[in-house]
Amino acid sequence: MSEESTDTEIDAELAQAAAAQDQPEIEFYGGKWMSTLPIVLFIVWAIVQSGVLRISDTTGLVAGMLIALIVGMLFVKGDWTTYANTIFDGMTQRVAATAIVAWLWAGMFAETIQTGGFVSGLVWAADVFNVGPALFPAVVFILAGLLATGIGTGYGTTVAFTTLVFPAGVVLGASPELLFGAILSGAAFGDNLAPVSDTTIVSAVTQESDIGGVVASRFKYAIIAAVLAFIGYLIAGSMMSGESVSQSAQSLFVANSNPLGLVHLVSMFVVIITAVLGRHIIEAISWGLIVAVVLNLLLGLASLSDMLVFQVSEQFGLAQSLSGLPFIELVAPAETGVSGSIYSGAAGFFPLAILVLLIVAGSRIMIRGGGFDAIQDWLLNTVATSVRRAETVMVLVTATANAMITINTAAEIAVAPYIARLGEKFNINGYRRANILDANTTALGYIFPWAGGVLVGYAQIQNLPGQFDWFTRSMVVEPIDVWPLVFHGWLLFGVFIVAALTGFGLEYVSDRESTEVTRV
Amino acid sequence: MSLFDKYLKGWRFRTNRPSFESGEELQLFVTDIEDDTLIARVGDSFIHISDGVPALVGTRVRVRVDSFDADSHVGNATLLEPIDSE
Repeated sequence: MSEESTDTEIDAELAQAAAAQDQPEIEFYGGKWMSTLPIVLFIVWAIVQSGVLRISDTTGLVAGMLIALIVGMLFVKGDWTTYANTIFDGMTQRVAATAIVAWLWAGMFAETIQTGGFVSGLVWAADVFNVGPALFPAVVFILAGLLATGIGTGYGTTVAFTTLVFPAGVVLGASPELLFGAILSGAAFGDNLAPVSDTTIVSAVTQESDIGGVVASRFKYAIIAAVLAFIGYLIAGSMMSGESVSQSAQSLFVANSNPLGLVHLVSMFVVIITAVLGRHIIEAISWGLIVAVVLNLLLGLASLSDMLVFQVSEQFGLAQSLSGLPFIELVAPAETGVSGSIYSGAAGFFPLAILVLLIVAGSRIMIRGGGFDAIQDWLLNTVATSVRRAETVMVLVTATANAMITINTAAEIAVAPYIARLGEKFNINGYRRANILDANTTALGYIFPWAGGVLVGYAQIQNLPGQFDWFTRSMVVEPIDVWPLVFHGWLLFGVFIVAALTGFGLEYVSDRESTEVTRV
Repeated sequence: MSLFDKYLKGWRFRTNRPSFESGEELQLFVTDIEDDTLIARVGDSFIHISDGVPALVGTRVRVRVDSFDADSHVGNATLLEPIDSE
């Protein structure tokens, strides 16, 4: 994103959040805590549905969130209009739209590269360079971390890697759970550190610090966690075995692997370079998509109908005269539709997009009903009595916010004023505050089974059985199974708990003056 | 400070009770007021600032340290200028 556009967008998001604070509060029977009811009910629903009943159905979670919003309304005092309007306000937040846009674009791009044989190319490369199942998760962690740092979107990285790298690792015999964990770890690393990441910018702006200084000062925490996570993936990779892909299917896939698919590294570099040059992420991925389509067609990696096809009824009057067109396929009347990588890449996210809009609506109700304030005030006033305890509370507050809001940028915006208030009470430097804020929202945003980062990866993985003959349902990793394996997320959280308790990396306002954020 | 220096800064364990030298000029947030004296809490150390007005609580100021007792971690400072002037 260009500095100017980023600045304007973040300003708009923060202004929207500030304006929401000034709007009338919603009063609940049972007090402020009751405003957390919709979100709490949703979390309980998510745990029961995914964890207890083992049903992974995103539309089921949408039903849960809708019911939770209705139940919450029954406890509102007086006119219910404000509650209803708050749902609208919440759903129209820019942060939610930003996440959804990243998923849709990254989805189209990743599926189109997959159609062009990129997975096959990766398997070929892994075979040639002798990257076996034990080493694969550690390598995936580094590559996902680099991509996320380059393009600034951990969600986009998760989409690309679960579509492209995950199946390659599974066919080579790596543990699917560990692979998914390594992808989420890399995404968290990039979201935390990338100068162009939304979360980085929000953390710097809200704590009145410059982005360059914030990134430099957070490097120490990120690299400690990343080195330990890398070692963790090396060890776990050699201990955890993968799902047994049938030997013949595996040999066949490896034997037929084709290095030509690796040409799509060019498509990915186009995205990275365009993003690093400061272009908007929509623009960067669109260019990558255009290059991927052209490469697919020029090199014969995929046909136009693999990427987009209109499946017309063969009984349709004009059917025969249209059938010569490369994007028309004649099918039985019951099977008409639109298909192809661009279609399915975007379509995979529709239930999740609606779910995210409803969750941010629920979190807005919690903020307007005073429940969020009540949680923060309780922690701030009862626990934060010394600087060490205050910093520990700051870590826990950001973690709690993320558990309840699930989209990490939205959680960060909501909790930022509390971090500033509490940090200033102890003269904690803006860099340190920004680092505590960002690290813990990004880390946990890829851990909780109902977090946006985990769900978006799962949305892709559950489509894989339809895309590869050898990929069976048992290789699909449920969100509830991956959380212990997001090593970088847990370690980053751990590093900050230790840092808060020991003063590692702590700087006071008097130690260093952060450069003010320059406004374009 | 060069960018490289920024990456190296902060690799240490910082005390919860920082000390200050007389004559040192600092930038601080005013965190509280007690009997007309402004207080800046820095970690678990306290600096009392003379010549302040209540409106400065919650804003940044520049001060000069007059004295600091390293045992009690309490010091006195003189207000030089407000930074966040509205």
